[in-house]
Amino acid sequence: MNEAQLREQIASYSRFPPRGNLNILSDTTEFMSIQSGDVLELGGAYYLVRGEEVEGRFGLDGEPKYWVKRAIDLADGSSKIIKLVFHEKFLMQIGTEQILCFRSPVKEARVLDKVRDDLRFMQGFNVLDSAGNHVRIIERIQGDRYYDLIHSFQMDHEVYFHDHFPIIFDKVFGCMEAINRLHRMGELHGDIRNDHILIERDTGSYRWIDFDYTYDWAESPYGVDLFGLGNILLFTAGKGFHNLPDLAACGPEGMRMRSCLEHGDLSLFFKHRIANLQKLFPYIPDSLNYVLLHFSQGARVFYEHTDELLQDLSACRLDIAAR
Amino acid sequence: MIELAGGIENKVLIAVDLSENSLKAVDYVGGMLRCHGTAEITLLTVIKEPSPDIVPDDQERGRMVEEARKETLALMEEAGARLTALGISEKHIRLKIQVCQKPMSVSDLILEEQQNAGYGTLVVGRRGVSKRQEFLFGSVSSKVVRDAKNCAVWVIE
Repeated sequence: MNEAQLREQIASYSRFPPRGNLNILSDTTEFMSIQSGDVLELGGAYYLVRGEEVEGRFGLDGEPKYWVKRAIDLADGSSKIIKLVFHEKFLMQIGTEQILCFRSPVKEARVLDKVRDDLRFMQGFNVLDSAGNHVRIIERIQGDRYYDLIHSFQMDHEVYFHDHFPIIFDKVFGCMEAINRLHRMGELHGDIRNDHILIERDTGSYRWIDFDYTYDWAESPYGVDLFGLGNILLFTAGKGFHNLPDLAACGPEGMRMRSCLEHGDLSLFFKHRIANLQKLFPYIPDSLNYVLLHFSQGARVFYEHTDELLQDLSACRLDIAAR
Repeated sequence: MIELAGGIENKVLIAVDLSENSLKAVDYVGGMLRCHGTAEITLLTVIKEPSPDIVPDDQERGRMVEEARKETLALMEEAGARLTALGISEKHIRLKIQVCQKPMSVSDLILEEQQNAGYGTLVVGRRGVSKRQEFLFGSVSSKVVRDAKNCAVWVIE
């Protein structure tokens, strides 16, 4: 496309066409200098940059992620997220433990390739820019974060648990099956959090996003992912997390509950978080609580593979559906 | 029930990562077997090549492995010297450094070596990781104890 054709396409798909000369870039190495209004030429296609994605609930709250551009595909006007190459390594804090974490564009590109057409995951593809950088072009998912869904329930826990939890549990089970598929292919998600599942607005599908974190292989390569899945399960079953200070703030009833809790009932990684939810909500079935206790201080064995977790959760499915 | 094929009871594999605990394992085995004139002891250490996801440059990865190999060899020789100092004949000691390029666990590699070369005894040190560390990272000694077949396992703390 020449500049005149590009301008025509931009006018079709954007209410705010750039003024002055078009800045058309095919080398994305200097991603900090790529701005809204620039056009990226990648793999024979053109994308109009509309700005940067912003870090969500965790980490650099509200900070723009300069290596992640919001863009419009000038072939069809669809919204894209363009992830540019940004290598970093940092210590990720997991409770009191730290783990050396790496951001790997190559890993994310490979995972995107492996999960193509599996709509339980975000979809996209990898192209090399003119400097050989692995650029990932990702279809934007219009929807809400799973974290926000759970916090949107205003009813008390018992009503939530009986009326909404069985349906949500089924969806979360599907998400865990998706991660199991990833693990069977020898890949990690790497950053499993309750805001890395998006619920697509049109379809209601639950979809995993952001696969660019990786770690040095340890004896238990799936440990970090399993930690994340345990957190999501606890968050889902509890309609949010429950911490000791919250109980203390609930007056005599909360204090009574707190006095029933033992060290082994608390989360393995977060010393104030309650993992034995059955002590707070006695209607939680034993089979589900049994799984939750694998993530508690009292656990004697841990899940090493998602298969094992799914097997135990299958038993819960029957108990939850039957209620 | 351990089924011992001819002679494997004399073959001992010590998996070492050259930490304080694995050197304790070396000392323990040396002390135990110095009276056993026919015992053959292999010291095995595994060097894992960094993942290409973390170190994308092939040459850089190769250089890192080579550095680790040099460093490891010096320490392995020191561990071998500890055995000879304890009275094990040098001709009965082998040093083996295995470089692993695949994303495979160290315990799987140790067990593969044990099976392939037919060691009757497998010795590992235990670092005593916390529950949280075991959850996230796993434990070589725990997995060896759980998955080893047709051999005795000694865990040295």
